[in-house]
Amino acid sequence: MTRKHRRLILVLACGAGLGSAVALTLSAFRDSVAFFVSPSEIAAKAPPAGRSFRLGGLVEAGSLHRTMDGARPAATFEVTDGHATVSVHYIGILPDLFREGQGVVALGTIAPDGSFRANEVLAKHDEAYMPKEVADALKKSGHWNPAAGPPPPAATWNDMTVTGAKQAKAGG
Amino acid sequence: MTHLTYIIAAYGLFVVVAVWFSATAWARMARARRRLAAIDPRASR
Amino acid sequence: MDARTALAPPAKSPVPGGRNLHRFANPGRFLRLSGKVLPWFSAAGLVLTLIGLGWGLFFAPADWQQGDAVRIMYVHVPFAWLASAGYVGLALCSLASLVWRHPLADLAAQEIGPVGAGATALCLATGSLWGKPMWGAWWVWDARLTSVLVLFFLYLGHVALVRAFDDPARGARAGAILALVGAVDLPIIKFSVNWWNTLHQPATITLTGAPTMYLGMLWPLFIAALGLTLGFVAVILARTRAAVMERRIRALLLAQAQREQVLPRQVGA
Repeated sequence: MTRKHRRLILVLACGAGLGSAVALTLSAFRDSVAFFVSPSEIAAKAPPAGRSFRLGGLVEAGSLHRTMDGARPAATFEVTDGHATVSVHYIGILPDLFREGQGVVALGTIAPDGSFRANEVLAKHDEAYMPKEVADALKKSGHWNPAAGPPPPAATWNDMTVTGAKQAKAGG
Repeated sequence: MTHLTYIIAAYGLFVVVAVWFSATAWARMARARRRLAAIDPRASR
Repeated sequence: MDARTALAPPAKSPVPGGRNLHRFANPGRFLRLSGKVLPWFSAAGLVLTLIGLGWGLFFAPADWQQGDAVRIMYVHVPFAWLASAGYVGLALCSLASLVWRHPLADLAAQEIGPVGAGATALCLATGSLWGKPMWGAWWVWDARLTSVLVLFFLYLGHVALVRAFDDPARGARAGAILALVGAVDLPIIKFSVNWWNTLHQPATITLTGAPTMYLGMLWPLFIAALGLTLGFVAVILARTRAAVMERRIRALLLAQAQREQVLPRQVGA
């Protein structure tokens, strides 16, 4: 065994040791690495009242009501993960990406009535990128309702042309 | 265009950083080549 | 130390793999080869970057939700890839330096550091400029953003560490160990969006499925990414060339100074 071989084995052994140590640490701190908790996790184990945390999920279709609180805009909506739902109340300006069916992360506390009082609402973008024409064509043809969930499989739309999408919309 | 200030800031930042890295790398190379040629004319190619 | 590594021919290695690696270790050969490819890399990088970013900025469609803010993606995503790819390069150079004592690997690692830090900084800054209008926040401490910030600090730490020693060989050794230890951050960055709840979206372009991106946006992204990668490599090559020449200058000056010291003594005796 040459010195080069010995050094290579030493480096690989150190790498394996370090890698497993980090993997164990990360899996031990799994909960604190998570940026938000889902409505089902709250239903299973409610955080203590008054403690601030982040709630994440999709804005339920048809649940958004925009009102005014004095001069400031206010909004009430339901956040769901498909199994449980939490009602959220927020006073302030919602981000540009906020809509029904969109992922959101709200920072706030659970009120005594079980609803969530948000101090801050962030919109979560999904991994789909499409022009308006393609989105409109998908909605028009009934392949996708953005308020109800994520877009259909990418292979069905990512090679659609903008002019083709316009024609499909006009024809359909 | 919507969000024009954010777009200009992002692309502007990119241009500044890219030009700075390219210019310093080029200047360093030219300077090293000049100095090497001055010390050892054989080594300069 | 410098004089020896710069002037001595590459050490003969008993290992076949080692010998193959050392074929590219001769600094003179590196200068010749890199000098030939550098103009091509620079020109192709510049042209492709201009085409890709021009297409993305002025001709690609706006996103149905993000509007024109989606155009920030054409710089953000390539620099996110380059930040990780640059670190892979840094880790490989460190491995070659620690295990095979490759004489060019230390110089390459020393020059990748600042360029990689620049790419990571651009990735973070452009991401922040996208996050404010889209998410509603400049910065959040989710696993993806935090792990990329850690990558930025790893680059900065490497840059500082390799320059912190009087003996460049010791600095290179310490830097190589830091770079290899830090490589554990790379899978964390890649998989953070799948392993944990994050605000950052999961990957759009994967090996397993069709890219969830309209092709009229994907093409300019690929072209810009290719151009910026060539530019990134060109800057690192240029800096490494400069570093090789600087090392040779130091070695020549040192040898000259030694000759001048030795000569009068011999005359005196």
